[in-house]
Amino acid sequence: MSDLSTTEQVVPASAPGESMAIEVASVVDGDFATQDMTLSIGPQHPATHGVLRVVLELDGEVIRKATPVIGYMHRGFEKLAEHRDFRQIMALTNRHDWLSGFCNEMGVAMVVEKMLEMQVPDRAQWIRMLIAEWNRVLNHLMFTGSFALELGAITPMFYAFREREDIQFLLESATGGRLHFTYNQVGGLKIDLPKGFLRESRRLSELVRKRLPDYFDLVLGNEIFQARTREIAILDAEAAIDYGVTGPALQAAGVPEDSRVTEPYLKYDQVDVPVHTGELGDGFDRFYVLLKRIEASLDIIDQVHDHIPAGPVNVKLPKIVKAPEGEAYVRTENPLGQLDYYLVSDGSKTPWRLKMRTASFSNIAALSYVLEGLMVPDLVTALGSIFFVVGDIDR
Amino acid sequence: MTPDELQDYLGRHQTAGVLASEVAYGDLRLTLDADAYVEVAQRCRTDERLSCDFFDTLFGIDARDEGFDVVTVLYSIAHRHRVILKHRCAGGRESPVAPTLTHIWRGANWHERETWDMFGIEFEGHPGLAPRILCTENFEGWPLRKDFYLGSRAAKPWPGVKEPAETDEDGNVIEKAQLIGDAPGPTVLDELMAEQAKRVNPRQPDLAQAEAQAVDAAETDADEEAGEPGEPGEPGEPGEPGDQTAVTDPAPGTERATEQVAEQAADAPQAAQETAERVRREAAEARARKAAERAAHQGETAAPAGSEEADPDPPEATEEGEQ
Repeated sequence: MSDLSTTEQVVPASAPGESMAIEVASVVDGDFATQDMTLSIGPQHPATHGVLRVVLELDGEVIRKATPVIGYMHRGFEKLAEHRDFRQIMALTNRHDWLSGFCNEMGVAMVVEKMLEMQVPDRAQWIRMLIAEWNRVLNHLMFTGSFALELGAITPMFYAFREREDIQFLLESATGGRLHFTYNQVGGLKIDLPKGFLRESRRLSELVRKRLPDYFDLVLGNEIFQARTREIAILDAEAAIDYGVTGPALQAAGVPEDSRVTEPYLKYDQVDVPVHTGELGDGFDRFYVLLKRIEASLDIIDQVHDHIPAGPVNVKLPKIVKAPEGEAYVRTENPLGQLDYYLVSDGSKTPWRLKMRTASFSNIAALSYVLEGLMVPDLVTALGSIFFVVGDIDR
Repeated sequence: MTPDELQDYLGRHQTAGVLASEVAYGDLRLTLDADAYVEVAQRCRTDERLSCDFFDTLFGIDARDEGFDVVTVLYSIAHRHRVILKHRCAGGRESPVAPTLTHIWRGANWHERETWDMFGIEFEGHPGLAPRILCTENFEGWPLRKDFYLGSRAAKPWPGVKEPAETDEDGNVIEKAQLIGDAPGPTVLDELMAEQAKRVNPRQPDLAQAEAQAVDAAETDADEEAGEPGEPGEPGEPGEPGDQTAVTDPAPGTERATEQVAEQAADAPQAAQETAERVRREAAEARARKAAERAAHQGETAAPAGSEEADPDPPEATEEGEQ
């Protein structure tokens, strides 16, 4: 190490033939004297996929402190919701987390139904499950592609989008939307499924299941991927629970918490919901759990196909839907984690207060904990594997 | 534990701080005294039978004149039960304060920051509420308080063609009482804007006054019919802000204006009449629109049937006024 302390003759490649004297480094007792620096990643950085900013305090390459700065996409969902009636809120909610529009709007419908003590037709509940699970597959495929992309592998993105396109086409046939479905309404669904939907859904489920091993081999089996994710960006169970982290990030830490199992809503109590967990809670585990969740969703989809009954898909609503006075809480398992709605109604047609607790907000709160002590290149692993959508954080 | 068991358990060991407990829609909600809030929360975490280790969420609710409520949702991963704590902040609407929970759950940090950002509730002992977590740093006001108006709603009371009227069993429209937090509506906004404009530029004349002057001037012009061919159709003071006719009027003093004056001198009477008529029509339209809005705002109860009758269609009303 002491060799470095000498002045060397360096020949810069840009200017052949010339040489210059450079003091390479000052070394004190075999240690590098490093200087703290502050590095701002984002808000427009590809690794943050969205407008998230992370301010890093670095000691050399090691992150000493990380401060996520959020709010760039805040549009005041909760304020807007207070000025819309319950039908209009549906179109608001499927926009904050643009990768799981259906699941978001379902939560609002469910909390209003809960307050009205409304009996939602069975068929509507089963269809909700079916579409929600397809939406989950869509979301997870997106993250499969994007996480690998951030680590430098371009190919998985193409594979993921091949499947996504098919699924979006399927959902478009029923809902008319590709991202913002607005298919739910209080009391059920807007319209019934089109003819041939279930047949196509079965075919697609088989197709995706057949192609799923490709992802396991292509991404999880990749040595570079393993080197960049194993034992990196560890989020242990204790901290994850403390921070309120949910979804794949919590399951990867070894906690089998999934509200579809622990507090079943819709008809999840009538189907078998496999919950896979990781061990360590590192980037690799989180990605493994994510892929396993696709598999689990396909399992549920297959079961729904066998259960789905005939009947109406919605109930006749009065001209104005008004929730009775009171407070209700609904918890659903969104693709990225737990989504809560807490509705406070004063008996009028708009909510007095509609609190939305999104998974991404709580997940990203744990980011500073995960990043502490990491190397800068591993930041990409951490950001890519604590799955979040920026719209879901900022609302 | 089921919510009922939880209620029994927390009820039996009831501390002085629990004011009320109820099981509503499948969840136990405890209403707490502000002083006992941290104590009960701590107990929810440490008590082995409760062990609420998962910090779900924390948020504020506007409690009208009495200030603000803070709701904390706690969940136990091991026991799969949930406790909802609710307490009213000390300090009323002016300076609401609540104790922090960050020393019990790390997850409380960001939720408390958000609640401060949205409601202005100070959390005592929090490691750092500022800078604002969701709003921009220089944002003024507390957006989720009900006295903070949603700008777009102030301009347009309802996002749609027509606000669905609320009717009782007989089909009569129910009068809507003005509540705290209701959008002020367009007329109020007009007044506010006029006030603001006056404050910015005290010399600027009142908009309504300017309109009236414009109408008067146009009328006299039309009556005189080319009495002064040098000033065709120049009602009111030219260049006056808010004067709708000023746009088409030639600005005096410029070369272009003199050219136009020469051109227009020929058909001056016609121009003056046209301008006058247009100004009158516009003023009548504006009046009808304002009247309709006011009628819609003050409640459609005057008319016995649905809102369709109670809500006059502005263009039609204008035409009637003209004829």
